[in-house]
Amino acid sequence: MKNLIRIVLVLAAFGTCLPVGMASAQDFDKNLAIAKSSYGSGDLENARFAMEQMLHDLDMAIGKEILKMLPTQIGAMKVNDKEDNLTGGSGYAGGLFVHRTYGMAPKSGQIEIINNSPMISSINAILTTPVLGGMMRDENQKQIKVQGYKSLLTKSVNSETAKTNYELQIPMNNTLVTLRIEDTNEGEITAAANNIPLAKIAQIAQ
Amino acid sequence: MKVKLILLACAVMFASGLQAQVLNKLKNKGEQKAGEAIDNLFSGKKKNSGNGTGTNGTNGSNNGGNASGNNSSNQGSSNGSKNNPTNNTGGGLVSAPPDVNQNLADADVAYKKSSYGEARYAVQQAMLGVELEIGNKILKSLPETISGMSKDQSADEVTSTGYGWAGLTIKREYNGDKDRQLRITVANNAAWMAGVNAYLANGGYAQQTNGQQNWKQTKVKGNRAIIEYDQNSGYKLSVPIGTSSLIVYEGVNIATEADMMKAAETVDIDIIKKQLGEQ
Repeated sequence: MKNLIRIVLVLAAFGTCLPVGMASAQDFDKNLAIAKSSYGSGDLENARFAMEQMLHDLDMAIGKEILKMLPTQIGAMKVNDKEDNLTGGSGYAGGLFVHRTYGMAPKSGQIEIINNSPMISSINAILTTPVLGGMMRDENQKQIKVQGYKSLLTKSVNSETAKTNYELQIPMNNTLVTLRIEDTNEGEITAAANNIPLAKIAQIAQ
Repeated sequence: MKVKLILLACAVMFASGLQAQVLNKLKNKGEQKAGEAIDNLFSGKKKNSGNGTGTNGTNGSNNGGNASGNNSSNQGSSNGSKNNPTNNTGGGLVSAPPDVNQNLADADVAYKKSSYGEARYAVQQAMLGVELEIGNKILKSLPETISGMSKDQSADEVTSTGYGWAGLTIKREYNGDKDRQLRITVANNAAWMAGVNAYLANGGYAQQTNGQQNWKQTKVKGNRAIIEYDQNSGYKLSVPIGTSSLIVYEGVNIATEADMMKAAETVDIDIIKKQLGEQ
């Protein structure tokens, strides 16, 4: 069973991962034309495949818009824009995945945004259901509000460096924003989260 | 003068006492009628207020009070139903699949306006329409009867969310004598399907079961498969097809493994593969 879960997670993480900039309006138009003609000729499977590609194109477009909205700096950490990464929508990976990193080790951070993914509902359930949250609560976790969104803050200590890392998960409808910062404190990560335009991201990603 | 005052006081007291009596009577009558109306309602003798009003009318003029009492009881009962009404009308939902061409056109317009969320919704709707058509075609390709069991058309089911990763699920049931039942489920393109197929096709399943003989690997029309048997649920045959599809046959009260295999082989897997675009 563990093997099965591993395979699914690996596929989900790397299934259709592409560097930013590969999808374009031409792709969308081309896939739209294929979808229309295939459907018109009764080739349903090809029509469906083209539509999957269209969803992928759209998620890439949405992801690019989101990347434009993300801060270019968190505290003293500057964005590593060459490491920006987007995962397209359809196929095995599921949903939109936006990844951006800041700074360099040992002081670094990252923002991840996933949307429309089958993984979100379970995370949302844990974060937003008091009973589940209570059952899974530990002393290194607490719920806070960021720009009005109920969020889960998790603290961890690196056993080698003894430095404190924080992860903040912010669910918004069908979108989950995760901010991770190494060697930080609660105040810094909360301030960083407040610089992310959450409402705009939720709106464009929905 | 004193006598006049005493008489006046007595008149006022008498009048107020009379008024109180009248009001009390009216109140009692009202309560009585309300009780009757509720009793009638629950015993099913009278269900509408029209009957109650008619009865009042025959009682003559004492009747303002009665009428009001009765009205209040009727209001009371109707308010009660308003608080917790039971739906007994309505035509349900129109179950027509989404218009694929219209949704593709909508997606095009939304994309050109950079309304990507809207465009995505329209494409998902178009995809939902296409997947439902694919599912219905697969259902049509399945046999009418299998091993003496007839299809139960009312149980036919095609499920799709229109999300590429959420996949398409098609279900069909066959029922026969002696409580025999064969359920066929075709799952395609779900997020977890590729992992499951890789797992089944590469023997991962076998490694995890530690030699218990309630399963074994087999082949259905040249496709690798896993057959399982459970005393309570019967036979289960899982056939991965292509990279992202799976056919599951579940047989209840099927006599032998050979019967189960024979039933499974009546399904044309190649047609299903073709419809799902699997190789």
